[in-house]
Amino acid sequence: MAEGINLFPLFLSFRVALTATLLAFIIGIPIAYYLNRSNGRIADIIDTFLTLPIVLPPTVLGYYLLVLFGRQSSIGRILEEKFDITIVFTPTGAVIAALVVSIPFLIKSARSAFAGIDPALLNAARVLGRTEFNIFLTIILPLAWRGIAAGITLSFARALGDFGATLMVAGSIPNETMTMPIAIYDALLAGNRDLVNILVLIMTVVSIAVLYIINRLEKKLNKGQPL
Amino acid sequence: MTDSTLKVAITKKLNHFQLDVDFEVKSGVTGIIGPSGCGKSMTLQCLAGLQTPDSGEIWLDDQVLYHSGDRINVKPKDRKIGYVFQNYALFPHMTVEENITYGLKGKSHEEKKQRADDMIEKVQLAGLEDHYPEQLSGGQQQRVALARTLVTEPELLLLDEPFSALDYHVKHILEQELIRILEEYYTGTVLLVTHNMEEAYRLCDHLILYDQGQIVQSGKKEDVFQRPATVRAARVIGCQNIFPVQSVTEPGDHLVCKIGDLNLQIPSQPVPEAVDHMGIYAENIHFKKAGDDTANLFDFTIAESLKGIHRTRVTIHVENAVSLTASVPNEEVDSLSQEGVKVELPPSHLFLLANR
Repeated sequence: MAEGINLFPLFLSFRVALTATLLAFIIGIPIAYYLNRSNGRIADIIDTFLTLPIVLPPTVLGYYLLVLFGRQSSIGRILEEKFDITIVFTPTGAVIAALVVSIPFLIKSARSAFAGIDPALLNAARVLGRTEFNIFLTIILPLAWRGIAAGITLSFARALGDFGATLMVAGSIPNETMTMPIAIYDALLAGNRDLVNILVLIMTVVSIAVLYIINRLEKKLNKGQPL
Repeated sequence: MTDSTLKVAITKKLNHFQLDVDFEVKSGVTGIIGPSGCGKSMTLQCLAGLQTPDSGEIWLDDQVLYHSGDRINVKPKDRKIGYVFQNYALFPHMTVEENITYGLKGKSHEEKKQRADDMIEKVQLAGLEDHYPEQLSGGQQQRVALARTLVTEPELLLLDEPFSALDYHVKHILEQELIRILEEYYTGTVLLVTHNMEEAYRLCDHLILYDQGQIVQSGKKEDVFQRPATVRAARVIGCQNIFPVQSVTEPGDHLVCKIGDLNLQIPSQPVPEAVDHMGIYAENIHFKKAGDDTANLFDFTIAESLKGIHRTRVTIHVENAVSLTASVPNEEVDSLSQEGVKVELPPSHLFLLANR
C-alpha cells in the first residue's frame, strides 16, 4: 500500500453520502410534513420507528437490513429477479445503509422546522385563495428552509461517517464497497499508520469544508429574509 | 363590491361548551363581542372555512358556503372572504408588495403590480414596497394585512381582534385609520371580533353579544349597551352593578322597583316576565347634595375605594340594601364624605334584567 494512496474510498464515501442525503430529502420531507400535520396514533408509531435508527447500534440496524434485503428474503429476491438490483455487498447496499442511519436526522429537523411555522400564516394563505400544494411551495418550504438545511447537513454528516451499518450490509470489498471509515479501520488493522493518518486528515478536512459550504449556503439563501 | 347578507346558523362542540349560534349580518360593521374563549374566533374560522362546524348552514347572499344537510363545505380558497388575523399573519419572507400580490391569482404580472400599487397608494404604504414585515411598525403591518385582503375584493371581511397586538398608545390612531380605510375603500360587510367593549362601541354599528358559545343579545350598539336585556348580557358588556329585585310595581306614571327597603324609580316600560335583576353602570352613579328634588337619592356609606389614573372605583353600601360600585373622577372623591352628600341612581340609567 506504500505505492501512493488509493482515493477510491473517499470518492465512494462522498458518492454514497450524497446519494443517501438526496434520497433522504426526497423521502424525508413528505414524511416530516405528514408527521407534523397529523398527531394521531399512526403518526406516533411511524415517528417511533423513524427514530429507532438513532438509538439502535448501527450493527443491529445493518443486521436488520441484511435480513430484509438479503438473498434469502422475498424483498431481496424480487429486487434481484425483477429489477436486477443486488443490495448486499454492493455500493447500493452502502447507500441504503447510509440512508437508513441518516434519514431520522433530516426528518426530525424538518419536522420541527415545519412545526415552528405559525399556523395563522397557512390559514392566511388558504383564505387568500391558494391550494395546499402551492402553500407548501410558497410558504412552508421557504420558512422551514433553515431547519431543513440543518437537517441536510446533519444527515449528510451521519451518512458520510457511517461504519457499522455499511460494513454489515455492503461489506468491505476494496475498490467496490470499501468506504472511508472502513478503509481507515482496514489500514489501522494492517498497521499502516501513515495511510491512516492521511485518510483521517482528508476525511476531517473534507468534512469541515462541506459543513462550512452548507452553512454559508444556508446563510446566503436566507439573506434579505428576516426571521 | 356591494352589500352582502351573511346568514349563519351553526353548531360546533368545543372543549368546554357547545358553540350554537344563529344570526344574520347586513352591510356595515358588525361586532361579535364577548369574553375570551367564548367562541368568537371559532365563528370567524367557521365562516372562512378554516374550521368545519358540526352542523348548520352558512350563506353569503344566495351562495351556500356550508350546509351540513347537503354536505356542502366550500374550501376557504373559494369563499371570497377576507380575513385579517389577530397578529396579521404577514408572510415574513415576503416583501410588502409580495404580501399584497399573494392573493391575486390568475392575473398577469402587470395587472397584479397595478392593483397592488393602487392599494399600496390607498393605504399609504408607498415607499415601503420592498420592506419586509419585520421592518414595519405595528400600524404599517396592520395596513399591509388590510391591503393584502382588500386587494382581493372580498364580499365579506372578517377582522379578528385587529388591535390586540398593538401597544396602547397607538391603538386609537389605528382605530381611526381602520375606520377611514374601510369607509373609503370597502363597501362590503365587515364582521369584527373583539373582547374590548370600548373598541367595539367605537368601531361597530351592530353588535352580537357572545357568552359560552351562545348569543345573549344582538342589535344596534346603542341598544345593546344601554339596554342589556338579561343578566348575562349585562355581565358580558361589563356592567359592574347587577343586583336582585324583589318586585316591580307601577303606582303611577313610573315603575317602582323594590330592593330590600329601597324603592327605586324608573321610567314606565314593558316589564318582561322573567325580570328579577337590575343594573347600572358604575359611571352613571352620581353623587349630589341633599335637598335637590331628584328621584332615587339615597344615603350611603363608603366601604372601599381604589384609585385609578383618572377615576376612583368606590364601593358603597346604599341604605344597607345593596352594595354598588361607582366610578368617580379623582378630584371629586373627597367631596363624597362631605355632610349631606347622597348617591343618585338616575332613573333613565337603570335597566331591568331578565335572569335568562
